[in-house]
Amino acid sequence: MKYLGWDELLPGAILFSFKEELDKDACEILPEERPYAETNSHEAYVGDWRVLKPVYNRDLCIDCQFCWIYCPDVSIISRDKKMIGVDYDHCKGCGICVEVCPTNPKSLLMFEERIPNEEALAQWPEKE
Amino acid sequence: MSEMKKIKNLKEFSTSADRFEGANLLCPGCAHSIIVREILNATNDPLILSASTGCLEVCTAVYPYTSWDNSWIHIGFENGSTAVAGAEAMYKARKRKGTLPKSCEGKSPKFVAFGGDGATYDIGFQWISGCFERGHDMMYVCLDNEVYANTGGQRSSATPIGASTTTSPAGRVSYGEKMNKKDMVQIMAAHGAPYVAQVAPNKWKDMVKKIQKGFATEGPVYINAMSACTTEWKFAPDDTIAISDLATDSLVFPLYEIENGTKLRITYRPKNKVPVRDYLGAQGRFKHLFKPQYEYLIDEWQKRVDEYWEYLQRREEASV
Amino acid sequence: MAEKMELNEVEVWDGNMAASQALRQAQIDVVAAYPITPSTPIVQNYGYFLANGYIDGEFVMVESEHAAMSGCVGAAAAGGRVATATSSQGYALMVEVLYQASGMRLPIVLCVVNRALAAPLNVNGDHSDMYLGRDSGWIQLDAFNAQEAYDLTLMAFRIGEDVDVRLPVMVHQDGFITSHTAENVRPLSDDEAYAFIGEYPMVNPMLDLAKPVTYGVQTEEDWHFEHKARQHHDLMTKVFGKVEEVFDAFEKKTGRKYKMVEEYFMDDADVAIVALGTTVDTAVFVAEKLRKEKGMKVGVVAPRLIRPWPHEQIVEALKGVKAIGALDRSSPNGAMGMLYNELAGSLYQSDNQPVLTNYIYGLGGRDFTVEHAEEIYQELLANAEAGKPTTPLQQFVGLRGPKLSFY
Repeated sequence: MKYLGWDELLPGAILFSFKEELDKDACEILPEERPYAETNSHEAYVGDWRVLKPVYNRDLCIDCQFCWIYCPDVSIISRDKKMIGVDYDHCKGCGICVEVCPTNPKSLLMFEERIPNEEALAQWPEKE
Repeated sequence: MSEMKKIKNLKEFSTSADRFEGANLLCPGCAHSIIVREILNATNDPLILSASTGCLEVCTAVYPYTSWDNSWIHIGFENGSTAVAGAEAMYKARKRKGTLPKSCEGKSPKFVAFGGDGATYDIGFQWISGCFERGHDMMYVCLDNEVYANTGGQRSSATPIGASTTTSPAGRVSYGEKMNKKDMVQIMAAHGAPYVAQVAPNKWKDMVKKIQKGFATEGPVYINAMSACTTEWKFAPDDTIAISDLATDSLVFPLYEIENGTKLRITYRPKNKVPVRDYLGAQGRFKHLFKPQYEYLIDEWQKRVDEYWEYLQRREEASV
Repeated sequence: MAEKMELNEVEVWDGNMAASQALRQAQIDVVAAYPITPSTPIVQNYGYFLANGYIDGEFVMVESEHAAMSGCVGAAAAGGRVATATSSQGYALMVEVLYQASGMRLPIVLCVVNRALAAPLNVNGDHSDMYLGRDSGWIQLDAFNAQEAYDLTLMAFRIGEDVDVRLPVMVHQDGFITSHTAENVRPLSDDEAYAFIGEYPMVNPMLDLAKPVTYGVQTEEDWHFEHKARQHHDLMTKVFGKVEEVFDAFEKKTGRKYKMVEEYFMDDADVAIVALGTTVDTAVFVAEKLRKEKGMKVGVVAPRLIRPWPHEQIVEALKGVKAIGALDRSSPNGAMGMLYNELAGSLYQSDNQPVLTNYIYGLGGRDFTVEHAEEIYQELLANAEAGKPTTPLQQFVGLRGPKLSFY
């Protein structure tokens, strides 16, 4: 965000969540359709916090949604009761999703950030 | 009262559209956000929120970013509860006068205050007590990580015996915190609050049920949410849910609810009770207790947890 | 719908009742308040009005003054008209929240009934609480009597709620001497008073569910300075004009004229007392007496607006005098008094360099008498004659024991 001068600020240091008025509560609008203000942290990036990243293996997933509910960073994307991927802009790499994944082998595993996802999927371990 | 959102199972719950945004500044693995997400997703009601100074507030509203998709206010450390109570009073006044903003007409926003254990048990104690005594229609959620986490882990009155904190560190001549954890849930129940409950993020179904019950209850509702803190309890960030499981299954954090201060009900009975020792051993803040000269404290811990569980069961039996 | 009260053309009200009536007429949405001497009657009167159908807003009887201001801030952010009252210890307790309220640019009206700060504990009138909140970022007005307490409280809403101002406003009055002294007060009718204030203009209310807003952020070192600078800028540029505008509108409505710096007999004054509160009325009485009986060219200057500090108006009002006595009703605890320092600050770079001395008086409700004022004028005239201080720079007035003075 641009560093504004004192004269460009909104009085009281208030922040708006959206850049347009909503006609219903945000919970009834999918995130991809919300008019996020640039001051909403949704628009920010914390991917550089990661050292390890979770890689998602769609083939093994049973859509139990444990990863969705236990992700602290709203980084597990679920639509229509199906897990569809990781939000790498917001994922901090905590690894909870991997820990709570119940499948064997797990449908989410941590890999080093520098490894491309395709490579990670190719290295997936076998069932224990 | 709007109809409560129906959540039969986790798959159904996963269709919720989060109103708490990522790219906030909370630690990786922080339980605060897991709890906040579960609470905000438990209802489709419009929300007016507040937070007391602390991890949640500091990490979700640092200019120029906000992580909240509902109106939210932070005033100070003590007064997150009173902030929301003031907003609730304004809503009541303007509703009565017929002068609410157009977008609020006919809507029943829910008023929720968040605060850490420092804000709730200590510095903001009087403020919460006042709000509850006055009977505001609001929910207060204490995110209890048993320390002043935001400022580096100083002890609070929520810190349990034997925990090593930066102001009650374990050392050559000390085993850490000397005082017992204050029983905040009972204190709030003694206010005659219509509903108080203890919850934990690993037991999402129990939490969501209680939150929905709280939202459906008129008057002040107190929710004590166990928040395992990877940074201050000293465990790996991916173990947050595992530690929470140990906490609920060892009954260190029993999950129960009290209606009107006089009717206690246990809401979770672990199938396999876990020794308190396992809970303590999984966290760095208790590791000194495993030294020979302090091991007796582990036995005292188990005794205390067992006695409290006994007490809860007796109250449930007697329906008081 | 709140019931209206039929008021007489002239009512007999003390300062507390005058402020309470103004609050009632403002049709406030939320009052969150706590009782403390000597402002308690304001809170009690409000409760009485509520119990008898004259108020349809919310009255939240909180558990401390800090909670009172906290509740007011929460309510103001939610969106609506908010006010409360306090004194002394309660004011000190809520000081933290005063800064938070102004930093968030929330209009709130606070009736401060000035009382001494402990220790030792004292419930009587002095200005130590007023002085404590100087830097809190609030607009601050001072009432010297009950009529002014009524008038300024009404005006406070209109000044602070203006969408270009959006700042909280304090209206001070002397504890007991004004608050508990019954005087003639000419009120506006309920309809006139509300019409003068107008409806509360909504700005970014939390209750506007279509526009979620975050209040009370944290700013790090890369943003804080700009936000505080903006607040200071708005205090320095948006307030003076608005205050003047409201004062003018009020004069048209009632014939009572207010100025940001009140001047009495200053056209040809050689010396002036600068004071606040009821002391102003005493000084005016004495100035008139000395002029009539002894032909002394004495005057009184009283900041009506204390914050933002009316620098230009002060310099203008004092441009002709040769000696000034700054009277401070608060223990400066190791320094010169507030008025002395603020005046010195304003006058240092001005064309006029009068002799400036400081008098500390009236602490804890100690009476400031006509004789005291006469003595001070004598000393000021001696200073003017000599062109330099003929007394120590700081003197205590009305104190038992050996004469206390410094520098």
